[in-house]
Amino acid sequence: MREPLRRPAPKVKVIPIVEESLYEVQKKIYPRAVTGVFATWRWILVWATQLVFYGLCWLEWNGRQAVLFDLVHRKFYIFGLVFWPQDVFYLAVLLIISALALFLFTAIAGRLWCGYACPQTVYTEIFMWVERVIEGDRMARMKLDAQPMSARKLALKSAKHGAWALIALWTGFTFVGYFTPIKTLVQETIAWNLGPWETFWILFYGFATWGNAGFMREQVCKYMCPYARFQGVMFDPDTLIVTYDAERGEPRGSRSKKTDHRAAGLGDCVDCGICVQVCPTGIDIRNGLQYECIGCSACIDACDQVMDKMGYPRGLIRYSTENALAKHWGRKDILRHVLRPRTLVYGAVLSAIVIAFAWALATKVPLKVDVIRDRATLAREVEDGRIENVFRLQIMNTAEEPRRFAIGVVGLEGIEIASDKTVDIPAATTQSVSVRVRAEPGAGSRGSNRILFEVRAVGHEDVFVREKASFLLP
Amino acid sequence: MSLSRVGRAAGGQTMNKAIWILWPSFVVAGIAEAVFFTLFDPQDLQLFGLPHELSRVGFYSLGFFFFWAITAASSGFTIFIQKTAEEINRCPLTPRERPDGCPKREG
Repeated sequence: MREPLRRPAPKVKVIPIVEESLYEVQKKIYPRAVTGVFATWRWILVWATQLVFYGLCWLEWNGRQAVLFDLVHRKFYIFGLVFWPQDVFYLAVLLIISALALFLFTAIAGRLWCGYACPQTVYTEIFMWVERVIEGDRMARMKLDAQPMSARKLALKSAKHGAWALIALWTGFTFVGYFTPIKTLVQETIAWNLGPWETFWILFYGFATWGNAGFMREQVCKYMCPYARFQGVMFDPDTLIVTYDAERGEPRGSRSKKTDHRAAGLGDCVDCGICVQVCPTGIDIRNGLQYECIGCSACIDACDQVMDKMGYPRGLIRYSTENALAKHWGRKDILRHVLRPRTLVYGAVLSAIVIAFAWALATKVPLKVDVIRDRATLAREVEDGRIENVFRLQIMNTAEEPRRFAIGVVGLEGIEIASDKTVDIPAATTQSVSVRVRAEPGAGSRGSNRILFEVRAVGHEDVFVREKASFLLP
Repeated sequence: MSLSRVGRAAGGQTMNKAIWILWPSFVVAGIAEAVFFTLFDPQDLQLFGLPHELSRVGFYSLGFFFFWAITAASSGFTIFIQKTAEEINRCPLTPRERPDGCPKREG
């Protein structure tokens, strides 16, 4: 092809520099209600997670709240377990377990967490249900929003926000109820003397719930959630993700139900756009995997219904893998590839840590001892010619009952405790005990000698701690 | 691009910047709060060498906002120095508003 000899000179035009927003101007998304297998699963998980969240704080255990993160007394209670700040190690391990579980689930089936269990999804689902009941489904809501303000609109909007506010406040109340005993909160609320900080945090959490589930919705997933951004590195060609079967669907186009669409050169996609309408993040899954997809499968449910109506087989949009689509694998092949080096390694590491964690919890001794040397006197000779060292034992009785502890010492011949050999410590309390230890001058070498303090709960032989210390001989 | 669109995009920018500043700092402040108060008991801390009269919950709450303010200041600084040369040099006036004699004045 011949190039034109002279191109017209480009018109000089001042192009204003406009910052292109990284984020498009937000369009309000009106997700259409959807029913189906995955929607049912999501509702089951909404109920399950919320029964736990709203219910757990009301359970009693040992005459106290079963699950209580008692910040005031710096102790976390989870059923029979009591965690002190010194137990932060367990929290760290728990976080590692959560992260590994997230890796494993993401490698197997994408964003299962996001689609079914994330509080953002769960509360959005609840808030959208309220919205649907009060304002109607998608079309009704779009019409209502387009209308000028009227008595009816005002009534509907007030009812919706009233219902949302109640749920949000109850959520905030429950949240704070995990930090301040919830029954105390109830009494304080009834007596109208809720503490200022409790009031503040109830309102703060309630406001966050209302804003996130009522307004921010998919924005949180798209712009605020770090997981959405790094999920890609956890996917591989065998990861199950919500997939549109383009080979089967294209070329898309509308047609009458009676048409032989294959003969007409059309694929199975009728281009009804319902998969886009139901999407809570407003994407078109037919464009392939996008980071906005939270894996909720609403489009699968919606498309299956359309396929049923058209009399086509289900699964034009389905859970599938990149490999399965390319190699036309069936369900069996897909499931066989769930077990692959990546998932096996994640699974093995995760199991090992979970077992170690469970073992550590099961054998956790409700007693901690710290030994501090008395710095004022290193060693002194007492009346009978023996050498005395003074130590300070910080004994933490982390059990929820008062206990008597026997203190012993070993490590040098004839070493013994010259002060009280037992100490009574109330439930969940730390007590500092001054301990005088005596030994013969010739019992060890000059200088520092390794000794061991043994603290044992009287009547509970398994509650036993041994702590190192050094005994000085002149 | 119409003016209203520009205006809306600029409004969106402000919103984005608010999110960029407030959100990561909120998350990091939460982590800082948890780590700091796991290690230190508010009752053992002194303000300017004097014991304080705040309750633990009050101290935790104020502590959280203290951390959030610091982390948000850091995020804000990041956003501030992220401005490109064009953004800093750009004339804030629209071509129509520019003074007489300005070569970029229009209309």
